[in-house]
Amino acid sequence: MRPLHHALVLAALLPGALAAQAARQPAGSQATRITYTEETLPNGLKVLYHVDRSTPVAAVDIWYNVGSKMEQPGHTGFAHLFEHMMFKGSRNVPDGQHFALLEGAGARAGSDINGTTSWDRTNYFEQLPSNQLELALWLEADRMGTLTDVLTREKLDNQREVVKNERRQGVDNQPYGTWLEKMLAYIYPESHPYHHSVIGSMEDLSAASVDDVKNFFRTYYAPNNAVLVVAGDIDVDQAKALVRKHFGWIPRAGAAPPLREMSLPTVIGRPQREVVPDANAPVPAVYVGFRVPSARDRRAETVQMLSAMLSGRSGPLYEALVRRAGVATNVGVFNFGLVDGADILVVNATGKPGSNADSLEAAVLREVGNAMGALTTEELDRARAQARFNLINGLQRTGGFGGRADMLAQGYTFYRDPNWVNTRLAAFDRVTLPDVQALARERLVPDNRVILVYVPNRAPAAQPQTPARP
Amino acid sequence: MNRLNTLALAAALAGAAALPAAAQPGHGTTPPAPGALRPFRVPTPQEFTLDNGLRVVVVNQPALPIVNARIIVKAGSLYEPAEKNGLAQLTALLLREGAAGMTGSQIAQRMERLGAQFQTGAGWANASAQVTALKPVLGEALELAAKTVMQPTFPENEFTRVRTQQIANWAQNQATVEGLSNDAFARAIFEPSAPYSRQPSGTRATLEGLTLQDVTGWHHQMYSPRNAILLLVGDVNAAEARQLAQRAFGGWTGAAVNLPAVSNPVRAANGTRVILVDRPGSVQSGVWVGQASVGWGDPDYFAMRALSEVLGGGFKARANMNLRERHGWTYGAFTFFNPRAGVGPFAITSSVRTNATDSAVAEAVREYRRIATEPVPAAELTSTLNNVVGSFPNSVQTVQGLAGNMETALLYGLPMDFWTTFRERVAAVTPADITRVGGSKVRPDAVTVVVAGDLSRIEAPIRALNLGTVEVWDADGNKVR
Repeated sequence: MRPLHHALVLAALLPGALAAQAARQPAGSQATRITYTEETLPNGLKVLYHVDRSTPVAAVDIWYNVGSKMEQPGHTGFAHLFEHMMFKGSRNVPDGQHFALLEGAGARAGSDINGTTSWDRTNYFEQLPSNQLELALWLEADRMGTLTDVLTREKLDNQREVVKNERRQGVDNQPYGTWLEKMLAYIYPESHPYHHSVIGSMEDLSAASVDDVKNFFRTYYAPNNAVLVVAGDIDVDQAKALVRKHFGWIPRAGAAPPLREMSLPTVIGRPQREVVPDANAPVPAVYVGFRVPSARDRRAETVQMLSAMLSGRSGPLYEALVRRAGVATNVGVFNFGLVDGADILVVNATGKPGSNADSLEAAVLREVGNAMGALTTEELDRARAQARFNLINGLQRTGGFGGRADMLAQGYTFYRDPNWVNTRLAAFDRVTLPDVQALARERLVPDNRVILVYVPNRAPAAQPQTPARP
Repeated sequence: MNRLNTLALAAALAGAAALPAAAQPGHGTTPPAPGALRPFRVPTPQEFTLDNGLRVVVVNQPALPIVNARIIVKAGSLYEPAEKNGLAQLTALLLREGAAGMTGSQIAQRMERLGAQFQTGAGWANASAQVTALKPVLGEALELAAKTVMQPTFPENEFTRVRTQQIANWAQNQATVEGLSNDAFARAIFEPSAPYSRQPSGTRATLEGLTLQDVTGWHHQMYSPRNAILLLVGDVNAAEARQLAQRAFGGWTGAAVNLPAVSNPVRAANGTRVILVDRPGSVQSGVWVGQASVGWGDPDYFAMRALSEVLGGGFKARANMNLRERHGWTYGAFTFFNPRAGVGPFAITSSVRTNATDSAVAEAVREYRRIATEPVPAAELTSTLNNVVGSFPNSVQTVQGLAGNMETALLYGLPMDFWTTFRERVAAVTPADITRVGGSKVRPDAVTVVVAGDLSRIEAPIRALNLGTVEVWDADGNKVR
């Protein structure tokens, strides 16, 4: 179960255990309403304020409308590499001081301070004692306004190496570490912006120049391409004054170039399958991916309900593959939540020591077929009950991964609706059983399916792709 | 929300935007000073005991209608025989796979339909069944969880399945340099007789030797209301907790359990010792540099915690600044400071790229020696202490986070106001305290270095560092050469 979720979004550094726990929890409830005040500065910066004085902490969370889908061919991995550069100092913040100041103010690196990059957005956040709110605003404003002033080749080379280590640790040296980039490459055609992984190609990263990085910054890191959330133990009027003071002077940028074509046929149109020998894998594993409606599609919640109905320790796949047939030790079902064109729903099963990859694959495909019969009202109710819990559970935190600030920013960035978090449960309630059944019939079909079969291959060790020592 | 005001405000400010683009009115070139710190208190635990001897501890934190409840049984792997390593955890995992006439599927289904999170497991000190639920369904979820602890049925087929799953998890762990080096480090710093030299999950060999009778016997021997604590944290007060506890656990019976005396002898080390474990083809190496140090309850806990934080507690700490930021050898390098009963491991640990492994080991050893032998500058210590003090409210904002801290206090016999006074005691640590524990609780002349990686590429360069004696172990801890 561990390999499934943690690799989907890349973070500047490994989140702590607490953050990892919160990362998967979505949002909104009737008992718990996340209230907010909104404004737009003259330079186009959207700002949301949320007051919650139950703990003396404040959160600053800024989402830039840029992700790996904006990258041009030959420049893959830039959005993420750039995110790393955002921690390397700005005009008034020497290299290393960003973390030093925040840690000294009482924020933990990883869980309270981080930056993450996905296909669709890049975010940066700080959660710290509320008396230090202005420090977080000052730091975010300084890097939004002046980062390129102090960007050097040396800093870029250093973070390039860190990113390559991130890839080694998360991809090259882990069992099944390549599944994500393979899945993307099969689900999305080569010309599609979701075709490549967020971490990108190491060759493209090696070729990145300081000018490339500066251009990327000028294009996307502007107030009119971001939403800032200030949340927690704050006074809204004071917070507004601080935001204007620190962000008000930053000039807006011209409109970012339009996205390449994102739309896709509803189904892939042919079955695809790859057998992957894996020197890191002790047991076989199977990943089956399907192209499904995106998180901005009117059927987004239906996808989430379908995913939740198939998953869980009492779900039909766990029941059949782990408990009854005993061919798998674990089963996971989840969707990524990509917002443009199409999303991916993945079924993952891990085998037992010595078990046969072919029979694991056959069993998974059989049970995905049988799962149609398990899409019942009871299972839909189970999915809704879990969504309700996940919502409240995630909202315990003011900031950090999946906390209140994150939910408000996500709503604005993807849906231009900060209130999105408060509409989640009603949206789940509107999904009907026929909706889910129709979606499953349409999408969980062989012509829309990508199969990755990982086979343990201890004999010839994979040739490591290690760069020359600096 | 207030669209009218927002529009008016935007219009009012539009005029001011005519300033030159580069001007930064008010933004300033130096970090803003903090405002006045606002008060924070950890809620005070309340407790009572049921007639059957079950101790109940309640922490009321009603920010959201959610509760974390855990039944903590002192039945962790500390108390299991060495040859039955993995028994405590396997037993705990099997609690939810059949109880009181329900199958594992039925239990999972009922919990998931309630929208509750339910898990069982065991570490060194304890086994636990833990449920997190929204308040309206808490009672039902807790009663169900209680049945799994009090009346598990341990079906044979589930025993076989979960044991296989544990063996598979063990194999997955052995497939990573992180897992290999972690296991070897525990074996290297503790004597083989110490439970801490093993992992609660067991090994393939010990798991294969476990029987269903072992599991039922262990449950019978260890699980009793007089050997357990019920902890409830969240939107629940003491009166509600009493009712909930009585309804769920009132019928539980059992005598006091005589826990065997446990000791975790540390391996005597003279000089630096290097242990290598081979993982052919590895593009990274798992590195540990450290030794056994303080446990919970040690008066030097706070000074050691501070020392650990300076060395590797965060991004700006020495290990990460050196190995990641200065040299780019890793995605991160941090300390592992894990006090347990009377003793616990303390180390710098990191996954570093293969062709820089020797340099990374040398730098990690150098940083480890430096913190123990050179005074820590006052400014560095102050900033580090501010971090631990300031971030504490963040760490207990969730019911799970707060309950985790309370569980530690309960298991290791810490005073129940430990977390109430935690921030003050951290803030009181001085550079002299660090120097003192650097001399008494860290022994830089007897450090243990463990590296798991591709020995065909890293063994010779590591030997060339001449750190001390070098041994090569297999994955099971047997000396190869």
